[in-house]
Amino acid sequence: MTLDVAFLFLQQGIASGLIVGSVYALLALAIVVIFKTSEVPNFSQGEMVMAAGYIALYLLVFQSLPLWIVMPATILAAFAGAALFRRLILNQVARANGSPVNLVIATLGLSYVLRGFVRQTGFGDTPRSFPPVVEPESILIGQASVTTLDLVILATAIVVMAAFFWMFKYTKTGRAMRAVGMNPKAARLVGVDLTRIHMIVWGLSGGISAVAALLISPKVLMTADMGSIVTLGFAAAIVGGFTSLPGAVVGGFLIGIIENLVGLFITSRAIVLAPFLAIMLVLVIRPQGLFGGRVEIKKV
Amino acid sequence: MTSKTTQVWLGAAVLAASLVHASSASAQEPGLTDKTIKIGMFSPLSGANMAYGFDVVNAAKMYYDKVNKEGGVHGRTIELVVEDDRCNANDLVSAVKKLVEQDQVFMLNGGSCSAAAVAAKDYVVRSKIPWVMLNASADGALYPPTDYIFGAYSISQYAVGGSVVDFGKQHLKAKKIGYINHDDAYGAWNLEAAQATAKELGVDLAVESINPNITDVTAPLIKLRAANPDMIAITTYAKPAALIIKKAHELGITKPIVLAVTGTANVSQLVDNVGSKDALKNFYVQDVLADVPGGSKIKWVYDMYKENYPDLASKPDHPQAYMPYGIAPAMSVVKALKDAGPNPTREKVAEALRTQKFDSGVMAGPIEFGPNDRAAQESTIYLKFDGNQQTLVPGSFQSRWKYKG
Amino acid sequence: MRDKTAAVLPRSEADLPGLSARSSVPLGRVALLALAVATLALLPFAVTGYVLYIANLLLVFVVLCLGLHLVIGESGQFALAHAAFYGIGIYTSGLAGNAFGWPFPLSMLLAGLVAGAVGVVIGAVALRMRDIYLALATFAFGEAMQWVFLNWDQVTGGPNGLRISPARLGAFEILSDRQAYPVVVVMTVLMLLLTILISRSRLGRSFRAVRESEVAAMAMGIPVRRAKITAFGLSAFFAGVAGSMFATFSTYIHPDSLGFQTTILVLTMIVVGGLGSIAGAVGGAIVFGLISEFLRQTPSYQEIIYGLILIGFMMYAPRGLFAFIRDKVGGGTRG
Repeated sequence: MTLDVAFLFLQQGIASGLIVGSVYALLALAIVVIFKTSEVPNFSQGEMVMAAGYIALYLLVFQSLPLWIVMPATILAAFAGAALFRRLILNQVARANGSPVNLVIATLGLSYVLRGFVRQTGFGDTPRSFPPVVEPESILIGQASVTTLDLVILATAIVVMAAFFWMFKYTKTGRAMRAVGMNPKAARLVGVDLTRIHMIVWGLSGGISAVAALLISPKVLMTADMGSIVTLGFAAAIVGGFTSLPGAVVGGFLIGIIENLVGLFITSRAIVLAPFLAIMLVLVIRPQGLFGGRVEIKKV
Repeated sequence: MTSKTTQVWLGAAVLAASLVHASSASAQEPGLTDKTIKIGMFSPLSGANMAYGFDVVNAAKMYYDKVNKEGGVHGRTIELVVEDDRCNANDLVSAVKKLVEQDQVFMLNGGSCSAAAVAAKDYVVRSKIPWVMLNASADGALYPPTDYIFGAYSISQYAVGGSVVDFGKQHLKAKKIGYINHDDAYGAWNLEAAQATAKELGVDLAVESINPNITDVTAPLIKLRAANPDMIAITTYAKPAALIIKKAHELGITKPIVLAVTGTANVSQLVDNVGSKDALKNFYVQDVLADVPGGSKIKWVYDMYKENYPDLASKPDHPQAYMPYGIAPAMSVVKALKDAGPNPTREKVAEALRTQKFDSGVMAGPIEFGPNDRAAQESTIYLKFDGNQQTLVPGSFQSRWKYKG
Repeated sequence: MRDKTAAVLPRSEADLPGLSARSSVPLGRVALLALAVATLALLPFAVTGYVLYIANLLLVFVVLCLGLHLVIGESGQFALAHAAFYGIGIYTSGLAGNAFGWPFPLSMLLAGLVAGAVGVVIGAVALRMRDIYLALATFAFGEAMQWVFLNWDQVTGGPNGLRISPARLGAFEILSDRQAYPVVVVMTVLMLLLTILISRSRLGRSFRAVRESEVAAMAMGIPVRRAKITAFGLSAFFAGVAGSMFATFSTYIHPDSLGFQTTILVLTMIVVGGLGSIAGAVGGAIVFGLISEFLRQTPSYQEIIYGLILIGFMMYAPRGLFAFIRDKVGGGTRG
């Protein structure tokens, strides 16, 4: 490989990595916000993205509704669906007082139900897409080739993440969420409605999933099994520390870039391996992830 | 109960079990009466890989129905037992064992997933049951050849990979071919044949192997672009294929692209997924049917489907793209049963299959087995596709790969 | 998962039917055990090879569950790389048989030891982490191992899969599920007894002490780190043995079956059975294995039904199948 080629690869790897990484970052954010407040790694996050994608497909392609209706409608539907799942199902699971892993298994159950349901509609097998939010036109940045759609994805992801940080930091609900994350009992004592907060958190996570679905479905194509993309969101969350929102975002970009660089400089076969190596490497060097808080020892 | 007594109990059980051997010797062939003959079918009927099997089974079923309506085979009605194999090795083996040992079928007609199907190979050969696969390529179960397993009714992966290279060399005059395959069993088989063919024809191959679940195909394509091939061959599944074609267009790659049959499931959806007909300016698809989908030669298959499954036919995406692949295996089974005579045995049927040759009228080439060849169909056609029209490219393009036993 | 994990796990010993109370054993449990033994012993005489195949497969999952029980149920360490060790076991015993013609008892031992050794090494690194980090690090290791199985062509056959030659002992070859069944049953019983022994030994007590509170365990002089690594290594050993059991009645292995979904299936089994109890691990494996096999008969709705079963269990039988039955029947006491 000549130096020229290597330099081109490097530019392209970073550009493509940032773009695909912005989607991983959104997914990671959706995972981390739930984990932070309820310590549940949501195994149905990918299927929430998938389901939201199919809602958008239905409204956009089969009902021929305009995009400015479809987008808010999809986000709203995902918000409501996720919040209801938390309220109706997970509340009961939590109340039933088994092991915390029960909550995880319940989310796993949801992932099966959603996949099965989409397959029942008959649209789940053939890879599909809907018209992207903007027509992709190729442009060169340096020597790296990207599309206008890529840039819109990156920009939207950044806006959503910024809005999310702002909400978490400066609104009353956001502060309540952080309080629940730190100490649920204390939060309840000072008058935080736990049920409501959990519902909002799940709703937000569903909403972010819907945004991710709207952005990436035309790019990665939809099937009932597209939820597996969430593995990369998990990888991003882990690399970032799993409890840190900025960590999730940085992790997303990192995973995207690593994936591309490994593909370009090592072998395409190892692209799928890269995120897992990154996880192991980061955790071995820094067991709490790049941005995770100190690991506390269990109290008596 | 102490653990000691448990051990004694179990010791006794083991001893008892080892004294008794499976008693399966019966005078009559299983699954056979004067009026009926029982055939076991299995395929993915649920889950992620349902599209590979569900309607393929339906196609075979409607063909058997037709045969039954016309009086059956030697006066016997064909009875079917259908199992879901989930495209997963453990489940496929359990489906096969249920069909053979519980349902006592006469022979097997099933399998749509290659890697999973290979898992049943040794069991079927040991049990000496004729097994006609559905649309699985399952080259791993066909080479080395056995007396009982017959497959690749849609196409052998060795034919897929080799023929693409031949097409590139003969029709597109390519000296260097960029070749994208999967890192799974399918990919390994078609790559092996592609390499053998490339070697014989003096073609250079730049290979990128990707995982079927890949979400970002930029890296492999940038590398291929840097290798500057004269054409790009894609032997991936439909989803990565659409992503690759789209990305190639975005990256300004204008070289011809040939998409192997593994990724052509639904070409009109492919146009939607690629997003722009410009991406298909210089685009060819490989096919294994006798005609373009819906063309006059195979129209009867689609008509028959509508007649037999009016409810399904009205559902979106039905018939599924691979539906017609179910016809040839069913024809093969019926023909073998006919050839085996009025008193068929499993041995006679397997023997008939080993020398079988006929034209299904549905697939691109004849269904043909030979002394060392258990892959039924090895012919492909090539179509130029511009996003609307598919036009046949004349000529025959062959894999140069040969099994060295 | 932090403090809560420990608090809500059932206090183990009293939870194991027929295993805990040394003095007086209730008659019902003896009857139940006798029934189980009789079923296992008589099964080959009553059923087809297909049922024996299912039985063999279920018993492999029983051993997998016992292994995961040791590390998660007893020690409270959420390690999610079980399928990787299972795979190591299958490939090790398969290769030992293929390449060297080893008799199967030897290759079984080797499979367990190799998996266990890898487990100890991984455990030594991973168990510096806890809770979600441990879960995710081991998850990543599992995925990486699946990639290795798929890409290490020279050894594993890569995407072609590996054909496993029949298990041998001298001139005797296992060629059917019926022949493999006694071997699989004996191994399952041995591994079950081993689990019970471990659980009742000092080691088992130290595992549970670590699970309940690491600080307290340390204060009691238990070498916490060593206990965790031992539990993880043992669990890998069990998975390796389970893999070698699979290799006695299977002729083929493909990396597709060795992914995260297999680990999750085993986790689901022990949770549904009742986390922290040996009976739960065994029962969960059998009940869930059977559910999966029965669902094959209702193809189109099986994902939805399976998902609803999982959710239903978590909503209404949070402490597992056996606790649920016990509560409903009203008999027996809980610890």
